[in-house]
Amino acid sequence: MTQHASPPRDSTGKVPSAGAPPAWRGLMARADVRTLSLLGVLAVLIIIGGITKPDEFLDTRNLQLVLTQASVIGVVTVGMTFVIVSGGIDLSVGAIVALASVWATTVATQEYGFVGILFTAVVVGLGCGLVNGMLIAYGAIVPFIATLAMLASARGLALQITDGKTQIVTVPSVLDLGERDAYVLGIPPLVMVFAVVTIIGWLILNRTTFGRRTVAVGGNAEAARLAGIDVRRQRLYLYLLSGLCCGIAAFLLIILAGSGQNTNGNLYELDAIAAAIIGGTLLSGGRGTIVGSVLGVLIFTTITNIFALNNLQSDVQQIAKGAIIVAAVLVQRRTASTT
Amino acid sequence: MPELTSRRGLLFGSAAIGAGALLAGCTSNESGDEPAANDQPAADDKPGKEVTIGFAGPQADHGWLNAINDNAKSRAKKYSDVTLEITEGSNDTAAQIGQIETLINKKVDVLVVLPADGKALTQVGLKAMRARIPVVNLDRIFNSPQAYRCWIGGDNYGMGLNAGHYIGEKLKGKSDAKVIELAGLDNLELTQQRTQGFDDALKNYPNIKKVARQAAEFTVESGQAKMAQLLQAQSKFDALWNHDDDQGVGALRAIEQAGRDDFLMVGGAGALSAFQAIKQDNGVLKATVLYPPTMAASAIDLARALGQGDGVSGMAEFEIPASITLYSAVVDKDNVDQYMPTGFK
Amino acid sequence: MAPEPPLLSMSGITKSFPGVRALDGVALDVQAGEVHCLLGQNGAGKSTLIKVLAGAHQPDTGTIHWRGEPVTLRSPIAAMRLGIATIYQELDLVEHLSVAENVHLGHEPTAAGFVVRGKVARESTAQLLKRLGHPEIDPARLVGELSAAQQQIVSMARALSHDVRLIVMDEPSAALDPDEVDNLFRIVGDLTAAGVAVVYISHRLEEIRRIGDRVTVLKDGRAVAVGLPAKTTPTREVVALMTGRNVEYVFPERPAKDMAAVGQPVLEVRGLARNGEFEPLDLSVRPGEIVGLAGLVGSGRSEILETIYGARKPDAGQVLVDGRELRPGSVRAAVRAGLGLAPEERKAQALLMLESVTRNVSVSSMSRFSRGGWIDRAAELGAARAATRELSLRPDNPNVPVRTLSGGNQQKAVLARWLLRGCRVLLLDEPTRGVDVGARAELYAVVRRLADEGLAVLLVSSEVPEVLGLADRVLVLREGRVVHTAPARELDEHRVLDLVMEGSPAS
Repeated sequence: MTQHASPPRDSTGKVPSAGAPPAWRGLMARADVRTLSLLGVLAVLIIIGGITKPDEFLDTRNLQLVLTQASVIGVVTVGMTFVIVSGGIDLSVGAIVALASVWATTVATQEYGFVGILFTAVVVGLGCGLVNGMLIAYGAIVPFIATLAMLASARGLALQITDGKTQIVTVPSVLDLGERDAYVLGIPPLVMVFAVVTIIGWLILNRTTFGRRTVAVGGNAEAARLAGIDVRRQRLYLYLLSGLCCGIAAFLLIILAGSGQNTNGNLYELDAIAAAIIGGTLLSGGRGTIVGSVLGVLIFTTITNIFALNNLQSDVQQIAKGAIIVAAVLVQRRTASTT
Repeated sequence: MPELTSRRGLLFGSAAIGAGALLAGCTSNESGDEPAANDQPAADDKPGKEVTIGFAGPQADHGWLNAINDNAKSRAKKYSDVTLEITEGSNDTAAQIGQIETLINKKVDVLVVLPADGKALTQVGLKAMRARIPVVNLDRIFNSPQAYRCWIGGDNYGMGLNAGHYIGEKLKGKSDAKVIELAGLDNLELTQQRTQGFDDALKNYPNIKKVARQAAEFTVESGQAKMAQLLQAQSKFDALWNHDDDQGVGALRAIEQAGRDDFLMVGGAGALSAFQAIKQDNGVLKATVLYPPTMAASAIDLARALGQGDGVSGMAEFEIPASITLYSAVVDKDNVDQYMPTGFK
Repeated sequence: MAPEPPLLSMSGITKSFPGVRALDGVALDVQAGEVHCLLGQNGAGKSTLIKVLAGAHQPDTGTIHWRGEPVTLRSPIAAMRLGIATIYQELDLVEHLSVAENVHLGHEPTAAGFVVRGKVARESTAQLLKRLGHPEIDPARLVGELSAAQQQIVSMARALSHDVRLIVMDEPSAALDPDEVDNLFRIVGDLTAAGVAVVYISHRLEEIRRIGDRVTVLKDGRAVAVGLPAKTTPTREVVALMTGRNVEYVFPERPAKDMAAVGQPVLEVRGLARNGEFEPLDLSVRPGEIVGLAGLVGSGRSEILETIYGARKPDAGQVLVDGRELRPGSVRAAVRAGLGLAPEERKAQALLMLESVTRNVSVSSMSRFSRGGWIDRAAELGAARAATRELSLRPDNPNVPVRTLSGGNQQKAVLARWLLRGCRVLLLDEPTRGVDVGARAELYAVVRRLADEGLAVLLVSSEVPEVLGLADRVLVLREGRVVHTAPARELDEHRVLDLVMEGSPAS
């Protein structure tokens, strides 16, 4: 029965039959209807892109472009997924990315070069996450309010640091990471970071006690408490994790944009939440997958790409994005109730 | 105080204003040694009647808006007879209305208002005028001329027009030339005006076709993202017009990352980084079309004159004009040095 | 001429939720102008039944006749249109609206179809309040500013603002003091005199005696007695119906040895108290012993267990395990010391309903299958399988989601969690609540076996036969106070019922 070592944690209500099912059915049960439907959506998008713009869309450079553009918000979404699975929400991710990116690109920080920028971005992210976590876990402030307050404060602080000015990065080792010369086997470094964060996120959520506690807290906080889990400490760690992801994302954004600006990360919170939701994460907590969230990010990025390649304007893009969110949630509810 | 001297005192001698304000059609004809607006002491800063000027602008979360605030503040500082009451900037219409009402209640002598949304703040402009506080409406225009005594602002349509003409001249004689446009935030009217001006200018050049347009959000991040997509969509084109130098930082980054240099780029607004790139002349950015933040300094001058009951020197009229549209000059390698000090960060 | 049909007649009403059958063929007849009392313990199915009656739940099977005509109550609005109004225990008023706005919520008097005529609403509300004996409540005040008793009156005014023929009152007296209860009874009397029927739910038997006409008793989703005369049925009989056995359970045999003589107590409670919930309590449980706490709703039994477990912070007293005091108010300290709780509300307090049985079982012992935070899932599954097999959990597949299990097997999953954890003191709060009657005997056997293996068990139950049958020693609780302690074999059901009802008219 070793092929059943993985219980169907993303279960869509499918009850594996009592007898030992054939191997392929076990596989099907595990490869989750939700994930398959997301892959289906992505496949449809790729077909649309391939038909409308065969030369520009089906191109290695375009693949590199889509994945690169997905990296920054993708890393944020991984952190957000953890928070939502735990039954929380982090509205401050965009503001934390902005704050970390401007703090890490001040003239003073840039003097410390690559390490200084990376260190500052990560520490600022963690610091904001720590404040969020303390307020929520030990200050008993609901996540919506605490992170909304962080959103306002971090944006304000970012504005104060920059004075509204764009901070150009002059550290060559940072800028070089965004250039084509830095690609390894055709993979941009940003995409590699995104991939590593995704894999680590998946491992933590599915293979560690930390992930289990996260799911337990989100599924039923009272039951988790009575089962002996330190719910408050878990919540603190989760917002720290989200802050860390924001810090990493800020560093990626600095590489990508070659600068820091207080307007960075605009509406990341909504993009990350939307990606997690269409990826199958329950907004009420207790269920969610990293793979689904990342597919959600890729779907959004691919749509943006196809629309831009076809020279469609942002109004149409926004309408399509809204429609996709509703459609994805409806399709998932259907598949979830029929299986 | 004799009227004539004080009118001269309001000399529009500063580079940006002089370059365009009342002399439409004439680009950068001022002497090159003329220092920039902020460094130019007002010709007559002899103290006159004490004037309290209330200044309300949007939140300075963007390079250009920040430059607006800086220009207003430093200009006011130059006059010993001017007290500047500056509100904390806000992008929220309701909050800005509240701030302006506070200024009205404080009975400032003159108001300078850059509204977050011109239409939405018309009422509070009317209220100030009714309270006999003259309003200098800066850039984003109120709905009704009754809501301001004087409007001074940039020319978005003219920006597009001049960018289009500049590109048209550069691509003259090239058959089947392609241009693309990286627009600003699409839900702002000014973005539509800039695009309209650009399209109208291009109609004069039958050899040029605009093949793509994407809208960014005036931010570096969005400039990078949208430009990267445009570059992927258009493997070959001859010129790019980017509405805003701030998002241009991101656009240039995307161009660099894609390793492209086979076109010329024209920016917008007049950021210092853009001027520097134009001066170095080693990249695609060849010119930028001004939307000068020095208009805030001029607005302070106008407000002071209104408060002291003066007119404008260099004009025959006794009264300050009701409307002043600034010229969107094109800055390229030839005249960039002159504009360098006005560039904003 | 045929006799007048009853106002309301429900029969064969069945309603299932995942894992539990809440109503199992319930019948209810209500005559116009009568006060029909509905009795039953928590979880007996009363709330489900009144929700069916209010149109908030749709029954799986069964028929409802209203004045002789078959009807379906598709929605709360449909029920209201017939003249059925419900006053829920958790008052469903909008705190930030005024009294008049609440009373007319959903059927505001309007001009031109949408303009609310506030004055008309306030005047009609004032009349209703006067009729209810509370003219002092200002219709313009916000409901949130009123006392609980006044809110109750507003809720009633809302019910009466419709053309009502049947009012369901769910424990209306719970929040009232004696004067207000008298007023409530006067209102009920006025209503029935006007031909309105009242379905009255209460735990207080003396109230039922005062105003009730007939009594229907629910237990485990069934009506165990229908239409008993409210004033003359002996109290003991009513309580026995509520708490008693209706199936002969087979209780496991107690070991012959005398527990009192064996070993040191593993759990000791000294002077533990929480203000307003229970008075200072002393008890001890030895390994292999099952101690039972018997008492009715409101006797403080669940609160005692949760305080021992650290889920509530005590105001006084200590909890000791092996003679070492636990940090008060810390669940983690209790779990670390070897305590385990199977709470009364399994779904809300114990189970992760979206998760598999394995993960529900392993959640308290994760450090055991993990190294540096990494879970060895093969070991986890093996351990969960062993623990669930030991308790004969069905189906024998720990990968199934726990929500698909029956109530009894869900309880076994909770027990398996503590078994796996190696817990030494098991706190059981209403262990057979929501468990099908047939599955109970097996659960009793499991608990006894765990005790025989050396576990100390503290059992709370409102079912007297369950406590007497399973426990070795029984503490009888009444209103937060232990009124009697004795070995279970020295007590019988009647004696315990008298003790828990002490002070009530025992007839």
